[in-house]
Amino acid sequence: MWKWIQAFASPKNFYQISQKIIPWLLIPFIVLALVGLYWGLIVAPIDYQQGESYRIMFIHVPAAWMSMFIYLVLAISGGIGLIWKIKLAYVVARVSAPIGAAFTFLALVTGAVWGKPMWGAWWVWDARLTSELILLFLYLAYMSLNNAFDNPKTASKASSVLAIVGLVNLPIIHYSVKWWNTLHQGASVSINKVAIQDANMLIALLLMSMAFKFLYGTLMLMRVRDEVLVTEQNSSWVKKIVMEYK
Amino acid sequence: MTLAEYFSFLPYGKYAFYIWFSYLTTLIVIAILFIRTRSIHKNVIKQLRIKYLREK
Repeated sequence: MWKWIQAFASPKNFYQISQKIIPWLLIPFIVLALVGLYWGLIVAPIDYQQGESYRIMFIHVPAAWMSMFIYLVLAISGGIGLIWKIKLAYVVARVSAPIGAAFTFLALVTGAVWGKPMWGAWWVWDARLTSELILLFLYLAYMSLNNAFDNPKTASKASSVLAIVGLVNLPIIHYSVKWWNTLHQGASVSINKVAIQDANMLIALLLMSMAFKFLYGTLMLMRVRDEVLVTEQNSSWVKKIVMEYK
Repeated sequence: MTLAEYFSFLPYGKYAFYIWFSYLTTLIVIAILFIRTRSIHKNVIKQLRIKYLREK
C-alpha cells in the first residue's frame, strides 16, 4: 500500500494518472448535476412549511458540506506534507484552497438568499452563519499566507500550520446548531438521523452533493496537474509534454 | 415593486427571484472556476514553452 502511494505520489505517475482520471470525474459531475437539478427543481415536491423557497437547499447544503470537506482535505494534506515531506500533499492543499473558498462563498450567498424570505433578513450573526464566515476567512488567510513568502517551502509549512489550527472551526460549524440556540435550522442529514422525510428531496440533495464532490475532484486534479508541470519543469518528461502540447 | 415581485412570473412564483438567483450565482461561480483553471493551464504551458525555446 505504502509503495503504491509513493508510486502514485511521484510527479510523473501522478500527472499521467490524473490525465486519465479527469474525464472520469468531469462526466459524472455533469450527469449528476443535470439529474440533480431536474430532481430538485421539478421532481421534488413543495415543502409544507417553506413552500418553494426550500429548493435553494439543493445548492446551499451541498456547498456547505463541500466547504467543510475541502477544508478537511486541505488540513490533512498540509499535515501529510509537514510530517512525511510529500511535496504533492502541499500542492493538493494549495490548489484546494480557492475551490474551497468558492464553495464557502456559495454556501454563504445562497444561505443569505434563502434567509431573506424565511427569516426576513439577508444576514444574522447566528452561530452557524458566523462560523461559516470564519471558514471563508480561514481560506483567505491560508491563500494569503501561501503567497506571503518568497520561499515556497516556508510558505507551504506556515500555511499548513494555519490550516491545521483552523480545523477547530469545523466541529464548531457542525455542532453550532446544537450548542447554541440559533435561527439556523438543524442538520438536514447526519449519521444517525435524516431530517428530510421525503425521498425525492433526499435523492435530489444527495445527487447534487455527489455532483459537487466530482466537481471538486475534477478541478483539484486539473490544478494539481499544472502545479506538477511547474515544479517539475526541469524534467525531460515535462519538456516533452509541453513541446508536444497542441 | 420589489425584485421578488418583479420576477414572480418565473416558475416558483414569489420565491422565483431567490431560487433563480441562487442557481445562477452557483452556475457563474462554477463557470469562473473552470475558466480560471483552464486559463492557468494554458498560461503554464505557454510560459514553459517560452522557457524551453529560449534555452534552445
